[in-house]
Amino acid sequence: MTAEELDPLIHVPARLRIVATLAALPDGDSLSFTRLQDMIGLTPGNLITHLRKLEDARYVGIEKTGNGQASRTAVVLTQQGRTALESYTAALRDLLGEL
Amino acid sequence: MSERFDMFSPPPAEPDPWDAASETARADDDAELDPREAAAMLAQTTRQAERQFEIRPPILLPAAAVTVLIAYGAVWLSVRSQHPYSGPTGTALAVLYGTLAVWIVLVTTVLRRALSGRSSRQRRLEGITFAAIWICVYVFQGALHHADSNHAIAYGIYPAVAPLIVVGSAAAGYEAARENRAQAGFAATAVVLGALASFAGPADVWAVTGVGLCVLLLIGAAAQLWRRRA
Repeated sequence: MTAEELDPLIHVPARLRIVATLAALPDGDSLSFTRLQDMIGLTPGNLITHLRKLEDARYVGIEKTGNGQASRTAVVLTQQGRTALESYTAALRDLLGEL
Repeated sequence: MSERFDMFSPPPAEPDPWDAASETARADDDAELDPREAAAMLAQTTRQAERQFEIRPPILLPAAAVTVLIAYGAVWLSVRSQHPYSGPTGTALAVLYGTLAVWIVLVTTVLRRALSGRSSRQRRLEGITFAAIWICVYVFQGALHHADSNHAIAYGIYPAVAPLIVVGSAAAGYEAARENRAQAGFAATAVVLGALASFAGPADVWAVTGVGLCVLLLIGAAAQLWRRRA
């Protein structure tokens, strides 16, 4: 096992923190984009870029409700994303065990 | 997906940052991340997020302990020298229900900060169910009044311990069904406390229940803090 074998979508500081934060939510719960941004400390543009990558891999789901002033975006970790994080954590543990 | 958002979620005062932001920012995919660094980051982020998402923040139990002590203490002070027992004064009842209202506002405020989705809907259903049970306790008290029951029972022992015994029993059963031993044990202890306090008489039952419940809540708060640090 080498560091290159770790899931490249998760093995990036910002995305690792995004996925780990969303994984701490109870299963089926979502987090508002604003609160996620507060917790992660990224600019909105950077956060969107990372979320788009995770969404393309179906690791997260983006839910938009309302229009205009009342619009709200929420982010949820999909089952696929949860499984990917579990695999990543297991791989990381194996790797660190070997080091 | 709109059903994921509950009535407690305040509408955003400003436009959604998602709409306002551009997507031209660069993702730091090239950033080097050492596996040890990644493991530490994963552990720290998970720990911080779990604390942020905690449904029962540590402040709630000490706040409940103070609320109970003020509410039950006010009633006890108003009834302790009554011979024969006639029941709490209007001022004492105002303090009792006033502190209860403050407590409800505090809990609602804390829960509004919480998450949307399945657990939010579950909490709302829990709240409605336990509120209905609580109201039934007072409906039964109305029946005691209607039947010209003894004041020592209708305005002393019953209102002091019945909410604890009835709502506590429901909570103990609910938590036991979820295999949540700590919460089930806490609720069952409150039921036992209520049952034993009822022997203190119509005036002193308020003091015994108030102090006993306050101590129980403080023990619960200490246990919660200890679990967080472990």
